[in-house]
Amino acid sequence: MKGITVCLSGANAADTAKTLGARLIELGHNAEQIDSEAVNRLGGLAGAAHACLLLSRNGVIAVSTCAGLKPEGETLAVEIDGNDTPDFAAEKILDTLASAGLVSLETGDYSPEEEEQIRRRLASLGYIE
Amino acid sequence: MTRKRAERVLVIGLDCATPQFVFGPNRYEMPNLQALAARGCWGLLRSCHPPITVPAWASMMSSKDPGTLGYYGFRNRKDRSYDAMFTANSTAVKEKRVWDILSRQGKKVVVLGVPQTYPVSPVNGWLVSGFLAPNTDSDFTYPKALKTELREAVGEYIIDVKDYRTDDKDRLIKQIHGMLDNRFAYARYLMDSKPWDFFMMVEMGVDRLHHGLWQHIDPTHPKFVPGNPYENVLRDYYRAVDNHIGELLTRVGDETAVFIVSDHGAKSMHGGICVNQWLINEGLLTVRDKLDGRKRIEDCDIDWSRTKAWSSGGYYARLFLNVEGREPQGIIPADQYEAVRDEIVRKLEAMTDHEGKPLNTKAHKPEDLYRTVKGVAPDLIIYFGDLYWRSVGSVGFDSIYTFENDTGPDDANHDYNGIFVMDDRSGRAGQELQGLQLMDVAPTILDVLGVDVPADMQGKVIN
Repeated sequence: MKGITVCLSGANAADTAKTLGARLIELGHNAEQIDSEAVNRLGGLAGAAHACLLLSRNGVIAVSTCAGLKPEGETLAVEIDGNDTPDFAAEKILDTLASAGLVSLETGDYSPEEEEQIRRRLASLGYIE
Repeated sequence: MTRKRAERVLVIGLDCATPQFVFGPNRYEMPNLQALAARGCWGLLRSCHPPITVPAWASMMSSKDPGTLGYYGFRNRKDRSYDAMFTANSTAVKEKRVWDILSRQGKKVVVLGVPQTYPVSPVNGWLVSGFLAPNTDSDFTYPKALKTELREAVGEYIIDVKDYRTDDKDRLIKQIHGMLDNRFAYARYLMDSKPWDFFMMVEMGVDRLHHGLWQHIDPTHPKFVPGNPYENVLRDYYRAVDNHIGELLTRVGDETAVFIVSDHGAKSMHGGICVNQWLINEGLLTVRDKLDGRKRIEDCDIDWSRTKAWSSGGYYARLFLNVEGREPQGIIPADQYEAVRDEIVRKLEAMTDHEGKPLNTKAHKPEDLYRTVKGVAPDLIIYFGDLYWRSVGSVGFDSIYTFENDTGPDDANHDYNGIFVMDDRSGRAGQELQGLQLMDVAPTILDVLGVDVPADMQGKVIN
């Protein structure tokens, strides 16, 4: 997996970062939050910027909400649209990452039992036999 | 006419609502819908090929034809093997639908009961999936927590009617009315509790009632009995739908453009053509089974080395050819494909009914219907008897004509035209529009909201 640093700004950036991180993990990716607390632990913005490079080199998608952070390595800067809920803003970012080939967004499908349940329903409704 | 931009759009979808009951000289009394049409505009809305719920609603909302969408009904061949099939749920929809586009424009959307929305995908708002959700234990809403909120506020969601194929018509009618009340109760709750710019709902009960009770209301149906107790059942149902529409309309003002649409219409079903039995009789299909009773074609042991064609049943027929180098055991040489297909078209279209009268069957080649043909399309899409007859896929019949349905009573087939009503508050004063098609709806919604229409949409803006 290829990593990248996603820098979020604008409305709901912190909430969107949390949602995005959770969705990335749900999709099987390694994700790390680079918030102000992480920046302090990394010795300031310069250390955090370099940590982003190390993370992305190792396939981690880092999600930053720190103003002023200029990550080393590949970066995606996103200003959140104030009209978007955090979870939908996160989905839009996932779309962008998917377009860049960094994540795969295959959604779940029926289990075999559900598939058979639906097949029977459709037959009962006359759509199929 | 200069269109007045709307701040919001409300779309009420009525699956299978048919023009003769809404617009015709014998239309039912639907004061709310008809007042809307009298203020705005209305017309017949030509469905897609095939005129079936899937792919019709997705065609309407993406403005793409089924060939571009890459599926041709609910169940589709996954590949060129003989038995791998998939159900065209939301994962099959690769094109953006109106609410996807509006979500990405920052508009708040509510989507309720629209076919092919399960499994759910995130939207900028709230989504309750339609009848392809397996059950109410599944995650059929977006966000997930919406399911609990709705259950507590409104009650359990009725995905569809149960035990649909029944002779107990009273119970069926009660169920269908129950689903109608439930769907609109969900709509009212969502409309009242969520901020929205685009609200779309689809009610399936119209379709279910047509199929279940058409013979009781249509004097042209072969089984119609004058004075039967269900003669007014559709009139009463359409009126109940209209009352619910009226309740929703009280919640919107001049800032909202309103659309009422259906994906196809309905007509009397006179019988079924046993398409695979016909193929057997014509020497085009060979099964090894001893046919001493009716059997689903899927359960038959087909001798592919002696089979040129097979077909699926349903409201229309999907016929596939067994082509050398394409199907695993294909026997039609590729250079004879067109000749074989043309010969089958000729025979199908020459078919007569059980009384020897012309049947008026139409067999379409997908490349003649669509801009592009994706997925594994049927080699022929067949409408028996101009859709007055359905396709029966099972074999083991003495005749190619049947007046019984293996899966239970079904009185209606789909028809090519649905309904379109739009009040975009532009002072159209009841204008009747001609030449409308499903794919025109999505670009019109975007235009009404002042959103750019994507260049790859295949329909036109209605104005």
